Amino acid sequence: MTTVAETGRRLESIARPKSVVQRNLNLIVELAITQFKLKYTGSALGYVWSLLKPLMLFGIMYLVFSVLLKVSAGTKPGYADFPVQLLIGIVVWTFFAESTTLAMNAIAGAGDIIRKAYFPRWILVVASTGSALLTFAINMILVIIVTLLIGGLHLSWRSLLAPVYFVELAVLVIGLSLLLSALFVFFRDLGHIWEILSLVLFYGSAVVYPFSRIPGFLQTFAGLNPVAQILLDLRHALVAPQIPSMASSIGALVVIPIVLCVVLFFVALTVFNRLTPRFAEEL
Amino acid sequence: MKPTVEVAHLSKRFRLPLDKSTTLKYRVTHWRSSSRYRDLNALRDVSFDIPAGQFLGIAGPNGCGKSTLLKILCRIYKATSGSAVVNGEFSAFLELGVGFNPELTARENIFLGGAVLGLTRRQLRDKINEVLAFAELEDFADQKLKNFSSGMQVRLAFSVAILARTDLLIMDEVLAVGDASFQEKCFETFKSYKREGKTIVLVSHDLPALEEYCDRVLLFNQGEVIADGPAAEVTSAYHRMIAEHSMATAESRSAMSSSRGRAQTAPKEVEIVSVGLFDGSGTPTWRFDTADPMTLTIELLTHRDIGDFVCGIAIRRADGLLVAGTNTLLDHVTVSSHAAGGTIRVRYTIDSLPLLAGGYVVQVALVDVGGATTYDDADPAASFHIENTGGHVGVLEMHGRWHVEPGADVHAGSTAAHTAR
Repeated sequence: MTTVAETGRRLESIARPKSVVQRNLNLIVELAITQFKLKYTGSALGYVWSLLKPLMLFGIMYLVFSVLLKVSAGTKPGYADFPVQLLIGIVVWTFFAESTTLAMNAIAGAGDIIRKAYFPRWILVVASTGSALLTFAINMILVIIVTLLIGGLHLSWRSLLAPVYFVELAVLVIGLSLLLSALFVFFRDLGHIWEILSLVLFYGSAVVYPFSRIPGFLQTFAGLNPVAQILLDLRHALVAPQIPSMASSIGALVVIPIVLCVVLFFVALTVFNRLTPRFAEEL
Repeated sequence: MKPTVEVAHLSKRFRLPLDKSTTLKYRVTHWRSSSRYRDLNALRDVSFDIPAGQFLGIAGPNGCGKSTLLKILCRIYKATSGSAVVNGEFSAFLELGVGFNPELTARENIFLGGAVLGLTRRQLRDKINEVLAFAELEDFADQKLKNFSSGMQVRLAFSVAILARTDLLIMDEVLAVGDASFQEKCFETFKSYKREGKTIVLVSHDLPALEEYCDRVLLFNQGEVIADGPAAEVTSAYHRMIAEHSMATAESRSAMSSSRGRAQTAPKEVEIVSVGLFDGSGTPTWRFDTADPMTLTIELLTHRDIGDFVCGIAIRRADGLLVAGTNTLLDHVTVSSHAAGGTIRVRYTIDSLPLLAGGYVVQVALVDVGGATTYDDADPAASFHIENTGGHVGVLEMHGRWHVEPGADVHAGSTAAHTAR
């Protein structure tokens, strides 16, 4: 037993956990929570902003596409419960956009810690995805509860596939984040390029209109894009069974966006690892 | 037993781009021109081992490669060639509070800083009160870091840094900060590490501290190890090096100041043009022996009629200790400027240098009689180096004399009377 006075004089060190996985996981969680917390310190509404912003976007898009352009007026199966489709689309898109934007700065903005401490650098990227994921999870849970209550969701056995699509989304986002964060260190124009590409993706992925609205021959092309595929399949799994899944929209080609996610992930990992030794010197 | 650190033929070259080309426009418009680089050899063929349990100090002027070496040991930089291997777990402390965030509280920062070191939240939760007690911050646990004084931040950072148990502790310049009582605590920690047989690498400018704690010191200059040995030996080599270096700087400065006069928009009333050191025969030199004669010559240019002014000199040891200082006013000597474009040569002659071996720097200043205005100053104005001749230690040659009387009349118990008198 040590007395208080002795405690103040000496500090016994603690052995690190043997498992590297445990250490890395702990660091990811700490960094993600910190980033999440810091985003809201100082603002009066705090986290509520993360919910308000997608809701505002939803309101605007609903007004434009549903009321003005009457997108949801059709009775075709692809248009079922359009407002709920739109809501889920916007929440998923917000996560995609927020996490890739955060990732852009995950390495470039962490020069201080990179030059002074050693730990695997991908942790910084995964932690930034993690903090966006935290917002996404809360928003998604709220949306699911609310739409369940008002009856916009039609859950069934096919809803069990939803977690699989969330995992696919995470693989896509982490892959993209690794690539963007590493390249941005050496090539700052990427920030602007990505902004434009995001806009193309936003309108090309049927976030704010039903996927079946895309004319036939273009559907095959748009369906190769993983964001469109994840979104459509999530809607099929959660919102209404009559919304055609990507498999029924473009047939066997549906494997392409899935394979693309996995390939992108491994390519990104290779590029990231190749560039890692140069981060400390470049920043 | 394997050494804790093995460094073999380690070299590090940085390629510094002469123009940074990270934008698309630049890449497109300059795609043909091969980028131009300037190579900087931060480390050149460095080899050494650190046996387990050694307390190694690393010294050297800024930009000598010591920080680069630490970063390679910590795997932050990759070696250009050669190898640096750490056998076992290490903890690095390259800067205070790495990973800390000013917007978080002390408690939250302990979790974050600890996580960077590889400790988990559960481990830290059991330890947090002890850490706060060691940092003397129990009452500030939930205050945001940005409201802490720098001393408080340092205490917290150090307390977190020593939390992880490792075989090797790598520390860069940590002794320069913190109040005296906390520094004491840091050194107590180092001592206990030494007793436990841990290996410590400490980079510091604090030469007395290196001498006191290190078993061995490496001296770096321009990317090379230029001295390796017991602390006392290497630190005196370092003194020598500083003296030589400031000599060179002073020369280039006086060269600059002579060409500077015309370009200046608001000329100084009086200006130091050159400062030189001469031996007994009037030859310029920077090497002296104890008890040698030395003349300090200061050449001035006057730009305005300001009447009497004061010329002061100070001699500092390489580590900054003020050894001696005087001025013309204190010594009842008059210096005055009555016209623009005049020149004055001021000489200060020492018949017998009372200083012992080491590097010394001379500082010169011109002030008004009231001491309110500094007309010009030069620091360092010159430097010199004294070789160890007589083997006396310290700063001063006391010029004392010994008398030994065998068979003298010695009374028992006279010690008390002696000290009283």
